[in-house]
Amino acid sequence: MTENRGLLSGGWAMVTHNKRYIFWFWLLNMTLAEFGTAAFRNQAHAVLDQSLYSDKLVHGFNLSVLIEMVARPEFGPTKAPTMAAVYFITLFFITTALFLPGVFQGYAANYRLPRDEFFRACGRNLWRFIRLLIVADIVLGIVCGILFGIEGALVKKAGDSTNELLSFEVHMITLAIIFLAMTVTRIWFDLAEVDLVLSDQNAVRRSIATGFRSAFSALGRLLASYVLITVVAAVVLIGGLWAWMHMVPASSVWGAFWVGQLTLLLLLIPRFWQRGVAVAYYQQRMLVPAVRPEPIIPEPVPAAVVSSPSPIPNIPAAPQES
Amino acid sequence: MKMRWLIVFFPVVSVVLISLLVKEDAANATAPQGAAAASVATSPKKSLSAKNPEEVTIPDTTLAINSSTPMSQRIVHYEIDAHYDATRHIIDGNEVLTYHNLTGQPLDHFPFHLYQNAFQPKATWVREAKLIGSRDTTYDKWEEKEYGSEDIKRIEVVGQGDLTSKLHYIQPDDGNKDDKTVVDLPLLKPIAPGAYVQFKIAFHEQMPETQARSGWKRDFVLGGQWFPKVGVWWHGAWNCHQYHAMTEFFADFGVYDVKLTVPQFEVVGASGVKVSEVNNSDQTKTLAYHGDDIHDFAWTASPRYKVKDDSVFQGQMGPVRMIILMQPAHWSQLERHEKILRESLDHFERWYGPYPYKTITLVDTEPGSAAEGMEYPTFITGGTSWFMPGGLYLPEVVVEHEFGHQYWYGMVATNEFEDAWMDEGINSYSEVKVLDSILGPNTSFINLAGITLGEREEQRLSYIGVADDDPIAQNAYGYYSGNSYAGITYGKTASVLLTLEGIIGQDTMDRAMRTYFMKYRFTHPTKEDFLKTVEDVSGKDLRWYFNQAIYGSPVLDYEVAELNSSPVNWYEEKKSGEKKNDKDTVYQSTVWLRRKGDFLMPVELQINFDNGEKVREHWDGQSRWTKFSYQKKAKVESAEIDPDHKILIDRNDFNNSQTAEPDGRPARKVSNYWLFLTQWVAQFVAWWAV
Repeated sequence: MTENRGLLSGGWAMVTHNKRYIFWFWLLNMTLAEFGTAAFRNQAHAVLDQSLYSDKLVHGFNLSVLIEMVARPEFGPTKAPTMAAVYFITLFFITTALFLPGVFQGYAANYRLPRDEFFRACGRNLWRFIRLLIVADIVLGIVCGILFGIEGALVKKAGDSTNELLSFEVHMITLAIIFLAMTVTRIWFDLAEVDLVLSDQNAVRRSIATGFRSAFSALGRLLASYVLITVVAAVVLIGGLWAWMHMVPASSVWGAFWVGQLTLLLLLIPRFWQRGVAVAYYQQRMLVPAVRPEPIIPEPVPAAVVSSPSPIPNIPAAPQES
Repeated sequence: MKMRWLIVFFPVVSVVLISLLVKEDAANATAPQGAAAASVATSPKKSLSAKNPEEVTIPDTTLAINSSTPMSQRIVHYEIDAHYDATRHIIDGNEVLTYHNLTGQPLDHFPFHLYQNAFQPKATWVREAKLIGSRDTTYDKWEEKEYGSEDIKRIEVVGQGDLTSKLHYIQPDDGNKDDKTVVDLPLLKPIAPGAYVQFKIAFHEQMPETQARSGWKRDFVLGGQWFPKVGVWWHGAWNCHQYHAMTEFFADFGVYDVKLTVPQFEVVGASGVKVSEVNNSDQTKTLAYHGDDIHDFAWTASPRYKVKDDSVFQGQMGPVRMIILMQPAHWSQLERHEKILRESLDHFERWYGPYPYKTITLVDTEPGSAAEGMEYPTFITGGTSWFMPGGLYLPEVVVEHEFGHQYWYGMVATNEFEDAWMDEGINSYSEVKVLDSILGPNTSFINLAGITLGEREEQRLSYIGVADDDPIAQNAYGYYSGNSYAGITYGKTASVLLTLEGIIGQDTMDRAMRTYFMKYRFTHPTKEDFLKTVEDVSGKDLRWYFNQAIYGSPVLDYEVAELNSSPVNWYEEKKSGEKKNDKDTVYQSTVWLRRKGDFLMPVELQINFDNGEKVREHWDGQSRWTKFSYQKKAKVESAEIDPDHKILIDRNDFNNSQTAEPDGRPARKVSNYWLFLTQWVAQFVAWWAV
């Protein structure tokens, strides 16, 4: 537990020392989402702006008005706004991958990472990250595919039972198992990403192997940390939605907007915290202990040639195994 | 001497015995009916034994109703003794059907419905369901468990002998020779007007996995449309349609005495009142039920029902026992079910007329079965799941709707094949009224986490998507699609009647509905019977409305096309430095209205000016457009057609009003939801994938 606390607090310290990353990622997401929802917004304005009927959406939320709006021919096909949103979600995913190396570099640095170093890390690791993500998503896809396949079969089988709740219970249990399996996979590839960036590893497969070994050498600690943080995320989401529903008046459009955005901003923190945990773990356990070079024994040379012995580089000691 | 005594003794004894037998038959024929029902329970052989045609009659029992005399003209008496094999989902039964020929003419043939034959790959029901959809299954692939069948093994007409070989399937609607849902029996001798005829039928039935609210699921079964059932002589001909994917049923009123033999572990519910329950030596039990003045009989069995049967509603004609069979996982929702059932009974009795039956059985059917939301006389099925938030009123909607069918189908027994709108649509109208009264007009369907949806809005939504597909008045099997059937039959009819309420006034409409119920209960009224009742009660000629709304398919869509306000003296240029008081400016304001649909209807218009003044106008709605102009020291702020929201059949409510200045808040609000969702999904994807 103490070690967990060490990881969690180490990760948390990195998050708090680099709060700007979270802000920028939130801003990036919101900006992209604004573009992604522009089509929907324009279509909604076209139908709603000059009708008194729309008022039922302001003072309350009348589902009938929303459904009728979407059904109106002048609103257009729903595929258009949906696809726009999907494109911008994909773009956010790609940009996250692009900027993440800089975040790892920033977390590992014991100083405020200058902007040029941040972007240098991003650029330097771009191609490596793409390769790593391809592998990670293939592995996640396979894991998910197999587990969801099993889950579907089990739930279907449970559906034959006369116990109505059994199918739901099986669904929940299998989802929990899938969540744990996916979290383990995520830990593995988070550590691989950290190794890739911090050890400037060009061979992606080595980072994957390192991440795998490291993840499974302390799986309990890492998994507990990741699960705990995910619980925090769930609490943030539920709390945010609760506040939205109960504390914001129905007619307060901007109030709802800001509560929603605050929730999303807070919801970014747990994932960055997990990444912080990965970096903290890397720094504690994964750094290859540097071998202190043998001191150079000065050979007797003619005094006229010798000036002074070379200074021994100040290499930090490897952390103690705990 | 001996011989002399014998000659005297035998004739005397014979006369006495014959007299006793005749007396007993006569007693059976005319006995008041608790006794007849009791005889069903205690003397099964006798109950199913056919009598000479001259001696049969329809019982005038009142065991199952709160009335001392029969309430319907009883045409049929079904006596059924059925055994259910719960392992193989098979029913073997013997049925004695007594039919009273009140058609006024001799009948030389009788058609019978064999509904369970619908669930065969080549049957019309399955063909149509695959083509236009059904609420139960898409039939992407045929599975053997979906197979159902209903065979008459033997049919005897008392007095005419075994006529099994005369049976032949007919397909009066579509000529599909593979459809076996109607079988016709020609008689050797016609049945004279006023006479009775008795059929002795042995039938065998394979029930399908639940489809169309009948069949089995796991260890549950719902016996609906499960026995050979005679057609209805209506308007001078037999009315016995094939079973279609979108049709329901039509049958004559009468008496039902049904014995069901099921495994002892089953918990059973059924139409009518239970008169006996006997455990048999083979681990089965036999339950006897009796129903008066009903036109169908349904039952259900499951080992896991939890039952509450001690609630009583004090009705206008007497106590009504509410029997509720719940799934164990739904037991916590018992109170919700009981409450809505009780309130529905109360509203229908107050608004339309008394509920005369002694029982109402509400069944919470097997989860995942296609048996939810169905009506049979004195027997309805609900629809819920183990997780049902308090503000989601699905159970209430289903229970109220199905209970409403006790009036609009159960007692006012319209032809569901040909006039589906008269049971489903009129019932949907009642549903809106009752649920609005109980749960609030704008929250009677959903009132959850700030999201609201009213029942009347839900009905209208189901209509506007199919507004020009079909007229209301047409055969249930003639609709363009499943959506069209649902949207027109339920949604459009409800919306049309709610709009009618706006035309003739709520009080008049209430009186018309009550008059219609009281006049036509226990009969088979036609669409004109209903429409004329509304006209008679309102004292208005409403053909202009009915011809469009019921018999036609024009779409109603009135629009505020444009608003304009400009200063009358617009041509006068302001002198430099002159400051004109806006309050002194006179504006020429014009509002244009357009009729975009072909439905003609007078409409009200309200114009709101920016000084707070409101002006009401009336437009007969006949021309394609009209305009209203004003000169006032105020500008038009907004204009709204149908400001009292009496018209529910307008296809587009957005263009019913227009504001001079746009208000972006509604669009921003819904865009916020979309934005939040998009961002959240983006973060979720990034959480797991990178």
